[in-house]
Amino acid sequence: MRKLALVACALTLIVAGPTWAQEATRWVNVDVTEASSNTKVEVHLPLDLVLRVIEGVKVENFDAGKVQLDCEGAEIDWPKVMAAVKDAPDGKFVTVTSDDADVEVKKEAGLVLVHVAEKAEDHAVVDVRLPISLVDALTIDEQNRIDVTAILASMAELTDGELVRVTSDDANVRVWIE
Amino acid sequence: MNQRGISTVPALVLATAAAMLTAVMLMDWMVVDIQTPEPEALHLTVPFPLVAARMATAFVPQEVMAEAEIPPEVKDLKQPVLDALDALLEAPDATLVRVDSPDAQVVIAKQGDDLRISVDAEEAVVRCLIPLDGVRDALQSWDWQSADPSLAFDILSAAPTGELVRVEAEDGTKVAIRMW
Repeated sequence: MRKLALVACALTLIVAGPTWAQEATRWVNVDVTEASSNTKVEVHLPLDLVLRVIEGVKVENFDAGKVQLDCEGAEIDWPKVMAAVKDAPDGKFVTVTSDDADVEVKKEAGLVLVHVAEKAEDHAVVDVRLPISLVDALTIDEQNRIDVTAILASMAELTDGELVRVTSDDANVRVWIE
Repeated sequence: MNQRGISTVPALVLATAAAMLTAVMLMDWMVVDIQTPEPEALHLTVPFPLVAARMATAFVPQEVMAEAEIPPEVKDLKQPVLDALDALLEAPDATLVRVDSPDAQVVIAKQGDDLRISVDAEEAVVRCLIPLDGVRDALQSWDWQSADPSLAFDILSAAPTGELVRVEAEDGTKVAIRMW
């Protein structure tokens, strides 16, 4: 009888476990701290809510969860570019040093890392940390539209972590998922 | 026989009173409470049944309703808005937005089927409760084309018993809307 109960418990865990895991709510967090006004804004929203709201937003250059890129005249084979990024070995892709800012794009341990350090204005430092699965989800159609919904949907599979951090003289911004 | 007739009348009166009391108890009541500060201090408490307010909207002139035209593109928002409300209702309780500034603190939190908004500013303190399920049901049944005052009453009907809105202004004026 005890064995039967144990088997029943095990079966329940096997069946319910993945279901519970799938249904765990993912949260998108955005923290903004503005030094000049001494204001702090914390946004903590369920990813599912963000997705459904994004799908309904219809403004200039953004419709049906897709944002229109302004790159008229440039013929870019986006699938090829994305495949190249995904298949490239770890290392630095781009390094730009100028009087205005330093920019570095590299791939490291399954992440695409973008670092921008502004030298003037607000002295902003931007760090973007994109898991490759997000790059996979980054699709740009023939009309040069990025499917933002697909990118957000893929966030459901991400492990907890920071995606964007901006620090500057005036404001600090942090975006992360948990 | 006469004695029986006499006892029937009070019984009928009692039954009618009980029926009326039950009807009153079953009705949704909204209580608006307004207090103004000295020197012209006023404390006004107005309770009224939602059903009466709903009936009163039937007397709003048609031309007034026609003037309150809803842009046609609003109808396209119906499904996304309902989907967003569903997502919010399904989400666990949490503080969704928090703003701290030297002038004010704003907190928007989901608690059960309600959204609670609180603003603590220098000019006023505001507490507001939005019954998400009521908003969702009201928006689901709305045609998204015409101004419909009953929409507000549908939402109010779904509100839990207690305080819905409280505003305390810097000058001492207090306004509260409670459901009962």
